[in-house]
Amino acid sequence: MRWFARRLCFYVFAIWVALTINFLLPRLMPGSPISGLLQHLSPAQLAANPGIVQTYEALLGGGHHSVWQDYVTYLHRISHFNFGISTSNYPTPVSEVVGRTLPYSIFLVGVAFILSFVIGTGVGMVAAWRRGRFTDSFIVPALMTVSAFPAFVLALLGLYFLGLKAGWFPIQHAYDNDVIPGWSWTFISSAFRHAQLPILVIIAAYAGGWVLNMRTVMINTIGEDYVGMAHAKGLRDRRVMTRYAGRNAILPPLNGFAAQFASAVGGLVFVEIIFSYPGVGYTLQSAVLGNDYPLAQAILVVLSVCVIIANLIMDVLNFVLDPRLRTS
Amino acid sequence: MAQLDPTALDLPLVAPKRSIRVGRIRVPGWLALLLRNSKSRTGLLIVAFMVFIAIIAPLISVAHPNDFNILATRQAPSWHHLFGTTDQGSDVFSQVVVGARRSLLLGALAGALATLVAAALGITAAYVGGIADEIVNLLTNVFLTIPAIPLLIVASGYLRARGMWTMIAVIALVLWAFEARILRAQALTLKNRDFVLAAKASGEPTWRIVFGELMPNMISRIAAAFVLVFYVALLVDSGLEFLGLGDMSATSWGVTIYWAQVNSTVLQGEWWPFMFPSLALGLTVLGLVLVLAGIDEVSNPQLRTEHKRGRLARIVFGRAAA
Repeated sequence: MRWFARRLCFYVFAIWVALTINFLLPRLMPGSPISGLLQHLSPAQLAANPGIVQTYEALLGGGHHSVWQDYVTYLHRISHFNFGISTSNYPTPVSEVVGRTLPYSIFLVGVAFILSFVIGTGVGMVAAWRRGRFTDSFIVPALMTVSAFPAFVLALLGLYFLGLKAGWFPIQHAYDNDVIPGWSWTFISSAFRHAQLPILVIIAAYAGGWVLNMRTVMINTIGEDYVGMAHAKGLRDRRVMTRYAGRNAILPPLNGFAAQFASAVGGLVFVEIIFSYPGVGYTLQSAVLGNDYPLAQAILVVLSVCVIIANLIMDVLNFVLDPRLRTS
Repeated sequence: MAQLDPTALDLPLVAPKRSIRVGRIRVPGWLALLLRNSKSRTGLLIVAFMVFIAIIAPLISVAHPNDFNILATRQAPSWHHLFGTTDQGSDVFSQVVVGARRSLLLGALAGALATLVAAALGITAAYVGGIADEIVNLLTNVFLTIPAIPLLIVASGYLRARGMWTMIAVIALVLWAFEARILRAQALTLKNRDFVLAAKASGEPTWRIVFGELMPNMISRIAAAFVLVFYVALLVDSGLEFLGLGDMSATSWGVTIYWAQVNSTVLQGEWWPFMFPSLALGLTVLGLVLVLAGIDEVSNPQLRTEHKRGRLARIVFGRAAA
């Protein structure tokens, strides 16, 4: 339990750091933050959104107070989930834009990342168990080569070859244009079909890392006495592989889940942009390019929180799988 | 960010003694060691080839990379334009070859800066211990928790000028945590060795022990960490450029891919403007990953095995697949 409490404290601290970075970023740039932001805007943008200057002033504390006062106001606002108004979707609140786009991203990255973990560790386990055989000499190098390409390159390749040339998958958006989002079968099946290719790309991009990781740890585990003991007891080969060697070997990759998930969220941004998939990554790019800083800031916070929640889930899983954590 | 994260690097050191000795050997020594391993040999060859191309770029590029020619737009690869031309009629081959210079240089410099910060902070923290160590460890974990790509996207959105040095500084600031975690863990295993204790007993100041005793003994590990951050920086930088958030006036792989995406060449069935820079990027990263995998095998004998592989496997993947 103490272990859990420590983790929770750490996560709260991490969120606080993310919020503080958000607060400090515009202030670290030379010049006054407001003029810096306004400099990016075209006169047309200013004319179209009369409230834009006030929005930025509210976002940055107006520049009339001391930094500390601004900081307290800022934290107070965020703690009430008030991220301000999205200037590129004026006058929609940021929270509404995020709420609309986040489910798509969570669905995409959640399914894809768990699948890549399962596939990657599975292949890594088998490859280490049967060194130099088919899986080890064909599938491992192939997955490694594929994963060496950055996610956005894989997405472009998938878009071109699988979407455009082969025509197997839809290449854009999260659902067909004539479908209305809702809990209807047509929408769900359409959304599912549109998610296939992005999910496939994320799996291809990240499975290789898990394979490499799991294979290395598994090779070290195979040399352990308890694996030899399990063999000596006459257990079936498959059982020794999964229950004895595999179960112990999966702990280090599981601990690396945190950093990998954070990196997968980065990959997700690119994949969403290439497939014009209306998730937070796609929104983040258009927010930054459109100088919609309230929205960009909120998305950074939301993504950090998502990574932290994924970490929490992993902690629980770790707790269940690793008896050492339970006894200490 | 790092899709392939050879976390084997931060496993408990299986053969620390050996790796220290590797670090003490003169330069040709470690090179020989890496060349003897099939993975790192392939990787080194790929990287050396890319660096070579970058160096001789002005000699082999047929045109100025940004020259445009309305009469020769959107041409498929041919003898005249080896990699085809862009929407503006620029020669993609020249863009890829000249772009290699900036992409590699930026990745290497950002990686070097991140390595410097990570080594100084991580090793000092491990050696000093106590509250300083706690703080560095906490910071490292926080930076690993906040997703780096979104953070970089937001940060570069605020930048007014996105010159090369700015991008290097920003990328290094976000990526140092990656290495600091690895190097700190390794320094912890070294800090109670006799030579460190001896230096301490003879009254050496902390900075001298960190930079004069610990760092030289971890040089192989630091080099491995540098290779890791090098390719992460390479990926991150081209990623930012791909999003239109880098120095878009420069010629680099990311910028070429960005324009291919903006002009939606992919959707029009023109594969060459994005395929060639992407391949160059992917190949370089693969080379660096192989170097890392080779370093792992050299320092961890358990990972090395003699394989009995089929003939087909040897032909398809060469010895690199071992």
